[in-house]
Amino acid sequence: MQDLLIVAVHGIGIGAIYAMVGMSFNVVFNSSGILNFAQGNLLVLGGLFAVLALPDAPSVGQWILLLPLAALALAGLVAIQGGITLLPLRSSVEQHSWLITTLAASVIIGGVLLIHQGSAQPAVHSPFRGFRLVGMRVPASYAFAAGLAVLWYAALRWFHTRVLVGLAISAIAQDLDAARAAGIRVRRLQVLAFAISGMIVGSAGYIAAPVMAIASDSGISYVMNGFVAAVVGGIGSNLGSLVGGLLVGVITSYAAYNYGGEFQDMVALALLVGVLMLRPQGLLGRPAARRV
Amino acid sequence: MIVGILLVIVSIVLPALLGSPYWAHNFLVVTLFVCVAVLQNMLLSDAGQVSFGQGAVFGLAAYVVGIVSELWGQGYAIGAVAGLGAAVLLGLLFALPALRVQGYYLGFVTLSAAVVFPQMLVALNDITNGINGITVTVPPLAAENRFGLSWTSALVALAAIAALLFHAAFRATRTGRRMRVAASSPEAAMALGIHPGRLRFLAFTIAAIGTGTAGVLYVPVLGFVSPYAFRVDLSIFFFFSVVIGGNGQLLGPVIGAWILYLVPNALLASWSDYRLLGYGIVALLIMLAFPDGVVGSLAEKLRQRRVREPVPPVAMDRIRAQSLAARAAPASATPAITVEAAWKAFGQLAALGGVDLTVTAGHVHGLVGPNGSGKTTLLNAISGVAPLDAGSICVKGTDTTRMPAYRLAAFGVGRSFQTPRIFDGMSIWENLMIGADAAPGGDAWLLRGMAENQDAWSASRPDLLPHAQRRVLEIMRVVATDADILLLDEPAAGLSPEERRDFAGMVRFLRDRFGKTILLVEHDLDLVWRVADRISVLDAGLIVTEGPPDAIHDDPRVRALFTGKVNA
Repeated sequence: MQDLLIVAVHGIGIGAIYAMVGMSFNVVFNSSGILNFAQGNLLVLGGLFAVLALPDAPSVGQWILLLPLAALALAGLVAIQGGITLLPLRSSVEQHSWLITTLAASVIIGGVLLIHQGSAQPAVHSPFRGFRLVGMRVPASYAFAAGLAVLWYAALRWFHTRVLVGLAISAIAQDLDAARAAGIRVRRLQVLAFAISGMIVGSAGYIAAPVMAIASDSGISYVMNGFVAAVVGGIGSNLGSLVGGLLVGVITSYAAYNYGGEFQDMVALALLVGVLMLRPQGLLGRPAARRV
Repeated sequence: MIVGILLVIVSIVLPALLGSPYWAHNFLVVTLFVCVAVLQNMLLSDAGQVSFGQGAVFGLAAYVVGIVSELWGQGYAIGAVAGLGAAVLLGLLFALPALRVQGYYLGFVTLSAAVVFPQMLVALNDITNGINGITVTVPPLAAENRFGLSWTSALVALAAIAALLFHAAFRATRTGRRMRVAASSPEAAMALGIHPGRLRFLAFTIAAIGTGTAGVLYVPVLGFVSPYAFRVDLSIFFFFSVVIGGNGQLLGPVIGAWILYLVPNALLASWSDYRLLGYGIVALLIMLAFPDGVVGSLAEKLRQRRVREPVPPVAMDRIRAQSLAARAAPASATPAITVEAAWKAFGQLAALGGVDLTVTAGHVHGLVGPNGSGKTTLLNAISGVAPLDAGSICVKGTDTTRMPAYRLAAFGVGRSFQTPRIFDGMSIWENLMIGADAAPGGDAWLLRGMAENQDAWSASRPDLLPHAQRRVLEIMRVVATDADILLLDEPAAGLSPEERRDFAGMVRFLRDRFGKTILLVEHDLDLVWRVADRISVLDAGLIVTEGPPDAIHDDPRVRALFTGKVNA
């Protein structure tokens, strides 16, 4: 019973990370129909920021101070990536170009990580000692990740309903041509959406750095699980990503506990296929209609 | 394609002759990858399936060979058969999600599977020897003759050449064309009697056979299999090769695989840490510079430069001018279409609220009504695209309420769409051939009648045709299918007044000369009143009135709907 509680807490924590990756997917997908495959490696970069920027024994103050910097640094990087991704879409009919450019961006980030640290995985020191639960010490990162996920959900909801720029991005999601006709600078807002997605994964990676694998080949696992979280909840829906992330995190944690860590991704894949077969629009999504 | 074959042969033979084992080995590996990339190209461009599963299929074939021939001691030949079989099974497994999702969804699902595959290889280490890998040697294949070539290199070259030849040949076959149609537009495919799901299965199977063959040959080339060789990077590589080279171009995968494998591996050989970075940068830069791929962009430029001969216009009067025997169907007393109490709702909105319609065989029956009255919904229901919630439909006396679209097409119901479903990736002539492909008897009488235009139309794409000719091309395609009932959805939209007169003449011609039954949904009341034998008026999901044109012309309800004789 105690073991299951630990598994659940771990599942909630890692699920919150997946939820945030899912939400970062949604922000970009809603405004340009692009699924940014590089989100996984970008999350790892957020963690790398913590590695590079934090001193060996950071104080709470330093840690808090660097959090928004991590978010902004990633925001800038992803905005650049977004601009590059959106560039060929202006003139080319080829619809696969964003698939390739986001994949290529992911490979490039992986390549940079490989050069930077080889196969070593740097450790991050956290100023927090974690909290006690049923006699075991649980890393504080899990709690912070969960809190941050909810915070981002609320922030995005407020942004899309109360702030003019957010409303404009929401308009693009609903009808691109009408938004353009209404005078909205679509391309700029799409890049802004990329930047916001960068803020989400930057802050998520920074907070989760102590419990993440910061390696050149770990990004793909995060993007895959983040995608499953988004799809299970319903792509485009942030509440869906929260719910989906929770489900994916808890289910895969339990599977890892029961069958072994190497089956974690397999279970996520099974979950993905199951949802797509039974309810392709996800738990909270609406089926999309097509005009014939 | 010939260029591709020559490149493959030269790349295998030359380094062996020059006695450079490093380059010989590199080209052996890249030729294997070319074989897979060609099939990935077919899967992506001809079948429209975004699948990242080929790396896993390749790896599974190689691993099963290793397990069966080495760990279970059965020898290479038996191992090869087992490997190929396993590859085909996995390929079919990848086809299953393709029945449910398409596009990038399918891409992510297959990508996730490609991530999980090496993890499973490690997890099941009782069978696979885990991270230690399996060493396999096949001495008879590896023995080199005096030119430095071995059976291995010959087989590898053959595999790649066979893949290229197959792809080129497949495109010219009926199945190949129908596969491209299904990839381009599922509705148009179903209206032509094509079952998209079956063709997807076929595509995945073909891809798995070719990829499995390459995977089986991987073992003698490298002599060692390990989980790290078949990670998701390999699947991404195959996909990249196709798109970087040029999606749909026959030579594309060769160039793509060469660039993405040889540039980082050979030029950055001494800085192995930088290989991954180099590979990503090369892919990104090429995608930005040549969004259609290297070969694709070149082909496009060449196409634009070619001096254009004027293309004979696509027009029905060429058929009229032919002394074709009248192919009028025997007059039948059975109504062509009978719709009873048709009901269809989208959420709270009742698009059809109990519609009754009878279309007499050999008649032109007009269906008019304001926007949103349910005309296209009714047409969709009759053609099997969107079935009714309640009510029944009979076509030629047979109940077709639940018949799927592709069976209805084979049953003799053809349709055109509001925007002409012309396949711009194929030539004008191929667009017509698709219609003939769908004819039950396979009789290409329309093509024979148009044979004088075959050369010009085979060399031209429909993307430069004016809208009216695209419309006529679509109608001609439907006529070529020998469908006896034609459902035309707002065909006159976008036509000029003179083109509309020609169109009216074509409709009358189809009825009088060919005996077709035509259900015509239109907004242009002038056109409908000129050609129709009977007219039904639809408003808000219900039939308001019905009868011959003269009878309902003065009906006050009709007048109220259209306020005089203007376009609705």
